[in-house]
Amino acid sequence: MTGWAFIAPALILLGLFMIYPIVWSLWMSFQVGKGMNLSFGGFANILRLTKDAVFIRALGNTFTFFIFQVPIMIVLALLFAVALNDATLKFRGFFRTAIFLPCATSLIAYSTVFKSMFAIDGVVNQTLMELHLITAPISWLGDPFWAKVLIIMAITWRWTGYNMIFYLAAMQNIDRSIYEAARIDGVPAWARFRYLTIPMLKPVILFTTVISTIGTLQLFDEVYNFSAGSGGPSDSTLTLSLYIYNLTFKFMPSFGYSATVSWVIVVLVGILSFLQFLVARDRRTS
Amino acid sequence: MTFAMLRRGIVYVLLSLAAFVSVFPFYWMVVGATNTSAEIIKGKTSLGSALITNATAFFTQVDALRIFWNSGVIAVVATALTLLVSSLAGYGFEMFRSRLREKLFGFLLLLLSIPFAAMMVPLFVMFSQAKLVNTFTAVILPTIASIFIIFYFRQATKAFPRELRDAAKIDGLKEWQIFLYVYLPVMRSTYAAATIIVFMANWNNYLWPLVVLQTAENKTITLILSGLTAAYTPDYGLILFGTVLATLPTLIIFFLLQRRFVEGMLGAVK
Amino acid sequence: MNRIASRRGRVLALALAGVSFLSVAAASAGEISVWVWDKAFNGDTMREAGALYTADHPDVTFNVDDTASQDDIRAKLQTQLLAGSTEGLPDIVLIQDDIAQKYLQSFPGAFEPLSDSIDMSLFAQYKVAAATLDGKSYSVPFDSGVTGLFYRSDFLQEAGFTAADLKDITWDRLIEIGKVVKEKTGKPLLDLDLNDTGVIRMMMQSAGEWYFNADGSLHITDNAALKKAIETYAKLYQNDLVKPVSGWAEYTGAFTSGEVAVVPVGVWITATIKANADQSGKWGVASIPRLDMEGAVNASNQGGSSWFVLSSSDNKEETIDFLKTVWAGNDDFYQDILIKRGAVGSLLSARNGEAFKASDEFFGGAPVWQEFSTWLSQVPSVDYGTFTAEVDAAVQAQMPGIIAGGDIDAALQAINDQAQQQMQ
Repeated sequence: MTGWAFIAPALILLGLFMIYPIVWSLWMSFQVGKGMNLSFGGFANILRLTKDAVFIRALGNTFTFFIFQVPIMIVLALLFAVALNDATLKFRGFFRTAIFLPCATSLIAYSTVFKSMFAIDGVVNQTLMELHLITAPISWLGDPFWAKVLIIMAITWRWTGYNMIFYLAAMQNIDRSIYEAARIDGVPAWARFRYLTIPMLKPVILFTTVISTIGTLQLFDEVYNFSAGSGGPSDSTLTLSLYIYNLTFKFMPSFGYSATVSWVIVVLVGILSFLQFLVARDRRTS
Repeated sequence: MTFAMLRRGIVYVLLSLAAFVSVFPFYWMVVGATNTSAEIIKGKTSLGSALITNATAFFTQVDALRIFWNSGVIAVVATALTLLVSSLAGYGFEMFRSRLREKLFGFLLLLLSIPFAAMMVPLFVMFSQAKLVNTFTAVILPTIASIFIIFYFRQATKAFPRELRDAAKIDGLKEWQIFLYVYLPVMRSTYAAATIIVFMANWNNYLWPLVVLQTAENKTITLILSGLTAAYTPDYGLILFGTVLATLPTLIIFFLLQRRFVEGMLGAVK
Repeated sequence: MNRIASRRGRVLALALAGVSFLSVAAASAGEISVWVWDKAFNGDTMREAGALYTADHPDVTFNVDDTASQDDIRAKLQTQLLAGSTEGLPDIVLIQDDIAQKYLQSFPGAFEPLSDSIDMSLFAQYKVAAATLDGKSYSVPFDSGVTGLFYRSDFLQEAGFTAADLKDITWDRLIEIGKVVKEKTGKPLLDLDLNDTGVIRMMMQSAGEWYFNADGSLHITDNAALKKAIETYAKLYQNDLVKPVSGWAEYTGAFTSGEVAVVPVGVWITATIKANADQSGKWGVASIPRLDMEGAVNASNQGGSSWFVLSSSDNKEETIDFLKTVWAGNDDFYQDILIKRGAVGSLLSARNGEAFKASDEFFGGAPVWQEFSTWLSQVPSVDYGTFTAEVDAAVQAQMPGIIAGGDIDAALQAINDQAQQQMQ
């Protein structure tokens, strides 16, 4: 009974402001029509989804972002956290603040800076040219491939410090004496990281992985700002969230269809989280 | 010894590099606040002399006191309530496991992935029927029970030493007392991280406040800045001055709380 | 323990008190609220109109909200109309012409027909047509998006061209001029954003075509004007005359800082260009180039918006009377907003006013407003339909391929297929 008492306030609020709207949107996903002229359409929206080339493109892009971005960011965040958790490191406070800064920097400021740095005559291309790494400037924002790379770099830049916070906080919960003992026993640093830090951080690593997965699947801010809302060039940065936004606010309002696309994200996350839990469980048993 | 020094050197170089890359856009934002719009567009990255002009323009065009008050009230109240409700739930889910609650938790995690846009219309209907449109209550209420933060507290609680709880029980403390007097102080670093994260999320919250707050005097700084950016002839000096101001609260909170990331939890208890 | 608990309680009570006093601000009777999206342009223009009306009707006041962007206004309006909740909606909202039909058709009854109370023949007809459904017109036209070719006269002069060389030319001729300018001055002809179809649309409209047939079906694969427009667009890139930009800031930044020679754009850009006082006398305006094909004219449109009255308004009578008195009846007001805001209104009689005849030193002393007025009367009227945003997205998807020299017929087919699928 006590268990329920602790979670009751959250459950009541979730029921009202989450479950109810979600059930409503599930019902909406069976409705077809323009704006307010809605009628029951059965599975028409799901059928439409399977034939929707733009949706398939958005799905593919979203997956690309997820597969490349999440692992890079998680590993980077972990490494930073380990480095900054070392009490003998000088200027820790400065480094910690610096690496946290990107997620506090306003989206407006950072998307403007990124766009100007990666403009065709921007500082990045100039540097690469001077170093003779490239012979012609890269069209970071105009080329479908490089636009994706840019987005991956941008979100990694923005969210690595954010994830680092969770690891740093979790590391404070690890008993220092275990490390001391290991160090005295001559266990090398990488082994302490692999066999002490990682296992102890596992719940939080799992947490950040799930959160980053969801964050990337819902990726919106960067792609909206970098492409003036279009998901371009050539839909190369169109994500599911941006597509949902367009379906809801930009295109002929078909709320039922955009609700259907939203549900696809839920199903995907369900599958992905399930896989992640399975992997985590396998490791534990082996 | 030399190997260790070399390794230390590499760590410093890499951290410095990361710090530089991380700080640059922030630096640009601060410097931009001292330059004119034309200079910013031309890519000037040194301090300018337009700070006063930008500040004056910002404060004449934006009712700053009012707007920052709005943002502040929303963010502070929402953060306090979110931490309370969601940490209770995270603690509850982890400490009192039952098959039903595990299933429920899994279900909640799934719901976490629903894009907000999908829930916006029904939420609006609800708040409109409750006559709460254009109130801070409408902005705050849907954010309090955050599955994200519940999940975070649950994961962090896995590191909470159960012996402490057992000992407290033997001392005759009730469950809520254990939560308040044992769990809360021990989990300070977790609360610190959560405060930063939740405050930032509420301060920067966009889509829902946009839709539910309707009159100009009730809007938040995030909404106002977005509107300024979309002008036909955006004044970037004014905008960057505003973004610097809007970033300060998050940074102050981070500075105040980051101390919590250096002291170990167990050390603090002992 | 009690101390902590009570302190927390007090904080909470305080916080909640702070929250609850801000209840719904009931629209006070006699206050007309308006949603606009740019303070300096449509915001201040509407404030001025309001002040004029309040002077004669002291009991009617105005509340003009310009704090949201156009995208945000659409998101708000659409969420509320979908939710069927009119609470907090304004009396008047500004809507861009090319999406008017979408709103009128998806939210029947949400907007008030105005043609019964206001004589629509007073306005530029292509603007009225954009907001007419089933014989009723729902808007009072505001600014015109009539296009012009803004150019840096100093750059063109350096390359050996005069104003006469740019008058009533074709896009192909402009490309030839651009090559010379590039060679002589090193400046690209213009800056373009691959994520924006604006230039293609204005080329197409100059030939009197749009994405749709009269019955609303797609007009893509058999649309000669669209094909020609895309070909021309690709030619601009292939001749290396384009500075590629991304987003509004970079787009406006390129021409306000003298990086490109010309800007083909709607007249509403004037304020942005004139904001750089040090460039006074270095700019000129010519008629927009036409496509090299039968029926194309040197006039087109880009953007432009109109005032819509929400049916839920509590002050419908005052609101409509206000629009009628000021926006459909006060020629002097139009002179004023032209001078102060660079807003070219759509009230035809206002064109005979003094301000419209004045010359502008910034543009080398040319009577630019007179010229815009002339071009405005020549803008081909097209039906923007309800799916322009969907087709735009389909066009954008083909852009990188097209400028890289891809097959245009295949691209048109792809645009057609994607748009077809999206139009449900």
